[in-house]
Amino acid sequence: MDPITGLPSSRRSTLSDDAHREGLTTETHDWTLVKAIDLVADQKVVVIDGEKPIEEACDILTRNNISSAPVYDASTKSYSGMFDWADVMTYLLIVLKKKDASQQLEKTDAELSAEFNDLVKLASHCQPVPVKLASDLSKKNPFYSVLPETSLLQVVELFGSGTHRVAVVDANGIIKGILTQSRVVNYFYQNVTKFPPIEQLFPKTLNELDIGKGFVISASSDSFVLDALTMMIKNGLSSIAIVDSEGMLLGNISMTDVKYVLRSYSHVLMWKTCQQFVSTVRSRQGLEDGQDRYPVFDARPTSTLGYTIAKLSATKAHRLWVVDERMRAVGVLSLTDVLLIFARSAGANPKPKRVSSLSLSSPTSQSE
Amino acid sequence: MGLDLDACISQLLQKQLLDESLLKEICEKTKELLMRESNVIHISAPVTVVGDIHGQFYDLIEIFRIGGDSVECSQNIRLVRFPAGDYVDRGLFSVETISLLTCLKLRYPDRVQLVRGNHESRAVTQTYGFYTECVRKYGSTHVWNYFTDMFDFLTLSVVIDNKIFCVHGGLSPSIHSIDQIKILDRFREIPHEGPMADLVWSDPDPDKDEFAISPRGAGYTFGGQVVKKFLEINQMEHILRAHQLCMEGFQVLYDDRLSTVWSAPNYCYRCGNMASILEVGVEGQRFFNVFDAAPENDRDGPSQQMSIDRKEKIQYFL
Repeated sequence: MDPITGLPSSRRSTLSDDAHREGLTTETHDWTLVKAIDLVADQKVVVIDGEKPIEEACDILTRNNISSAPVYDASTKSYSGMFDWADVMTYLLIVLKKKDASQQLEKTDAELSAEFNDLVKLASHCQPVPVKLASDLSKKNPFYSVLPETSLLQVVELFGSGTHRVAVVDANGIIKGILTQSRVVNYFYQNVTKFPPIEQLFPKTLNELDIGKGFVISASSDSFVLDALTMMIKNGLSSIAIVDSEGMLLGNISMTDVKYVLRSYSHVLMWKTCQQFVSTVRSRQGLEDGQDRYPVFDARPTSTLGYTIAKLSATKAHRLWVVDERMRAVGVLSLTDVLLIFARSAGANPKPKRVSSLSLSSPTSQSE
Repeated sequence: MGLDLDACISQLLQKQLLDESLLKEICEKTKELLMRESNVIHISAPVTVVGDIHGQFYDLIEIFRIGGDSVECSQNIRLVRFPAGDYVDRGLFSVETISLLTCLKLRYPDRVQLVRGNHESRAVTQTYGFYTECVRKYGSTHVWNYFTDMFDFLTLSVVIDNKIFCVHGGLSPSIHSIDQIKILDRFREIPHEGPMADLVWSDPDPDKDEFAISPRGAGYTFGGQVVKKFLEINQMEHILRAHQLCMEGFQVLYDDRLSTVWSAPNYCYRCGNMASILEVGVEGQRFFNVFDAAPENDRDGPSQQMSIDRKEKIQYFL
């Protein structure tokens, strides 16, 4: 692999204007004509029963190593939404925000754990909350579906406007698979040499493509996790940068990190500072993987698109933080941004649902 | 020179922390020593290579025991040992561990080589525990600063008998010849990318042949063809590295062209893995001395630490 462009190292440039004509070489294809069903052919779909309590639904996500699953409502015989970690986080914040952080820190882990379970039950009048009611609390992940024959171009347009995943549903209403932004970007990466218009984009830098810039929402490392999470929910973010007093990027907190909070005796994590939260989560991840990760997944404005795609693929991250030479975040490059570029290269022009590097001003202060 | 290193070492062997001002002086002197070392240090067998320790103090002592010499009898030390990086983070006693290793390096500069690992970095130690431990044990960030400044001076690799190349992580697509390592500017915080980052972050991938971006977010994974080519170009026989947890304590790949040595048993006090140190003989023989966690970990481990923390909390609020 070429470490600069992310392309296979044996590759020579194959820039051709005739990319849309099939059969020009034996290997190039028109990616816009690929069908949605082709990308999910091997998938085993996990569906959550809408009557299940939230705790069980979380367990299903963790056990299957997925970050979201469709929720089936038997009473309406339809899919009521997608349940994901952002919904869990939103639910937790509603339940926990009445507590006083300094009092909480005095309790033992066992006390916090018992209290947490009681709180969750009390919040829903002594009945566990069924998933079908919680499945769209965060309003970030509505249920989109496409037909198996839907073209990849249409899917990429949808993704380029900020949707993270779609269900591929056949004419009988059966879900054939869940197509995510990650899966699509990975598909492009694995097959880049088949798609010359995409391959041409790989050596271009983020600067040249004018992506990965803008203000970055961040929280200071010694602010409280609950405050940072509340800010994320308010701004519709799936991840927030954690910075030190000089604005240097130390790490990030993502919605998916909530799965570490839900493990028994880890509820105390919710009362910690951002830095403590990040440390605990990364340490756990490192143990589970048998290898530690770099604290920040980043790229420079001078990195190529190909490099960032290779890195997103390898790390399975949904975004890279774009940093300057002093490790200060100057933008974010998300899967949405990558797919927006691909859509535009095919002549489409998706309208972003929200700008991916948000233009809100300063980091939170501790008093918030 | 008022510094009594033997007294410092004795104290540390009892797991007693050294005074902050003493650590400052020790780190300063160590930097002066390390500054004169090349990015690639050439040594001869017999040698003992130690992998990741990660602050597991009692297991470091265990390593001295099984390595066949005691630190006190300096005349008996024939083996040159060098921990291959990752001395800190995750374990409970990173400060004691790195303090002891630094004193040993200063006391026996030609018998101990310390190679930089990916955890010998400011960014990583702030996330994985060493920073927090320094602040907790010394009340300020000074000691963390002394050590991380010293880390900037650690060498990047060692070559044994011109045959075995030792580095913490692995290979880099930017480095074909070992001479290229010699001209790097290593006296800095480990960058996010580039050859220096690759040497401490990369991993072998038994299923691949070439380089690919690493899932760790820094460095690369590399395969059999890359290893073969590197050994040919540099006329070496073997690559020795650490950096990855091995349940059996070590792992050998690519027809015995590359080995991983891992020296933190029962990693994080919960993984249940074995550990090893590698003994290289004068004929080039390689023997993995495998060992288990030291029994002291049960008397002075995470559960003891937790009750200490709780006691401290209660005292504060009384």
